[in-house]
Amino acid sequence: MLVFAASDKGGTGRSVTSANLAYQRALTGDHVAYVDFDFGSPTAAAVFDVPGAMRGTEERGLHSYLEGDVTEPARIDVWRQTEHPLLRARPNQSGRLVLFPGDAGGGEFATGEDALERCADLLLRLHGEFDLVVVDLSAGRSYAVDMVLAATAHPRMRYVPFRWLVFHRWTRQHVIAASGLVHKENGIIKGGVDRGHDEQTLRDNIRFVRAAVPDPESPLWAQGSPAQAAWMQACDEALRRLAAEHRIGDSVVLGVVPLEPILQWREQLITEEDVLATQIANKETLEALEEIARRLTDDSHWGRP
Amino acid sequence: MRPGESAPHAVLACGEVRTCLLPAQQALDSRAAAQLLGLRADERVLLSERPNLYGRSPDILTGVDCPLPSANGSRVRAVGTVAARASLTEGRVLQSSAYFRVPAAGPDHRRPWGHYLVRPGVVEPFGTLPREAVAQGLLAGGRHGDLDVGLIAGGLLTRLLRHPLLDQRPPLKSRPTRLRWVALPADPGDGPSIERFTLAEDELRTVRLRVPEDTRSADVAGLCDDLALHDWLLTTVVRILDGIRLGSAPPPARPRPTAEDDRPPVVRALRPAVDHLLHLWMPRARVAEQLAPLWDVLEERPGFTRQWQTLVQRIRDQLTLHAIPSPHREVEPVP
Repeated sequence: MLVFAASDKGGTGRSVTSANLAYQRALTGDHVAYVDFDFGSPTAAAVFDVPGAMRGTEERGLHSYLEGDVTEPARIDVWRQTEHPLLRARPNQSGRLVLFPGDAGGGEFATGEDALERCADLLLRLHGEFDLVVVDLSAGRSYAVDMVLAATAHPRMRYVPFRWLVFHRWTRQHVIAASGLVHKENGIIKGGVDRGHDEQTLRDNIRFVRAAVPDPESPLWAQGSPAQAAWMQACDEALRRLAAEHRIGDSVVLGVVPLEPILQWREQLITEEDVLATQIANKETLEALEEIARRLTDDSHWGRP
Repeated sequence: MRPGESAPHAVLACGEVRTCLLPAQQALDSRAAAQLLGLRADERVLLSERPNLYGRSPDILTGVDCPLPSANGSRVRAVGTVAARASLTEGRVLQSSAYFRVPAAGPDHRRPWGHYLVRPGVVEPFGTLPREAVAQGLLAGGRHGDLDVGLIAGGLLTRLLRHPLLDQRPPLKSRPTRLRWVALPADPGDGPSIERFTLAEDELRTVRLRVPEDTRSADVAGLCDDLALHDWLLTTVVRILDGIRLGSAPPPARPRPTAEDDRPPVVRALRPAVDHLLHLWMPRARVAEQLAPLWDVLEERPGFTRQWQTLVQRIRDQLTLHAIPSPHREVEPVP
């Protein structure tokens, strides 16, 4: 299964959330690849805490691979190479978790047929090796988005199942932008159809993840006044209506990640330790991530009985 | 010895083999294998059906002119051709193998290409070859820009994997492996020997051999293909069995994703091994007679076939256990 993580804007928590989903799936025993196609601003190294392992991959990352400078992109075994003390003790029965980093300092780029073929080669190879391949894409209708839309429409990839997650924050602007990224004239669906995807199939394989959503019921806001609480409720209501009008209502939402203070401070993986022992992260956040990770391959959440 | 090999004796041979599962739902029959492996219009694919179904492409040559990797930093420029070929075993396991041999010394200037073209698979050094340093450098992997035989093997594999015959629906998840080898001449009178066989990284193996001086490098490459094939089989089946431990007792807090079919997870995981891998074990099937004794050493230690038989037995035991209707099983079988 390939999972593409997209968002219209930066700062939606796309990278950190999709990395957490990859981590959660690896904990359940799946072999997981995390592919950093966020060419503008690669953050995966920070999230997985592998800065040391990144040294020496500067010229062997996905950029160099797609441009044909190297025949195999660098890979980082997260359990083995992370500097995060908890992750290094690879949990028993976990699957492999492998990061494919971008090149340091590689921006967006445009190349043609060759890069597309190499992209298909890579995705096919990873599909043959891993149970789950999470591909983090640069924000917006980026080159990365176009490339994977074209690659997944490639005849060689006709039997490879894929799904899209579109991340957005829970504000008016983000809801409208996320809807636009998928449904607008130059959105993912139209772009996919132009490249040979079946419209209905593509539509059925896109779900939304609301990230950094403040829960009015949460103890975080318990100190607020009744007026503030009422205002938040009203906003939440209005946003739900707005989302539904923009065709990204609850029926196409795969999950909601609550606003998590530690993720506001630092992009990182949320471990059980963070919730149970040090209690710096909220239980609800971890549960939401676990649940979304599970739903990635649960067909009942993808309109299939 | 072929006419092309009459040039100065090779004192070093080197190669790399990539081994992977053919990404197709059904194994290829011999006709399809011939199509896949038909890399050259002017030469036929070698096909054989005894003792197992096997196809091998003709050699293709890649011209090279670059430094040889070396352990001590000395830069020896070398020019010549690297030979590469692909093979398919039982229509299921695909291998690409690139190799070359190096004479002890060469002229310190580049000769016309015609000179190199009549010596396929020979790379000539400029001046004298620092043999030991280059052998170590080749196994360790060179710097960017050094001669990289793995790059040639990888390029050939990529080309084959794009073939339209392949539906890209592999029946099981598996990892490709790489096996890099160097062969140095044995002392006069000595037979072939394996000096070292290491599992360097996750998917990289390195082998250092000594072979009698008249051994053809294509035969050494054939031996290493055979080693790589069986090492890949062991690695892949071990991983399948590792995986079922995960599936058999999921922690209740994290249920496994729902599956479409209701076979027990263990059976679902083991079935592809039975369908596609267990019948492939056949060491020495195509190893030159002169080199076949090397397998005996590996059978002694670490004991390739011994491990394989244990794995096969485990798989059969698991399937037998699951064939018993569950009310009659006292406990859930755990591997």
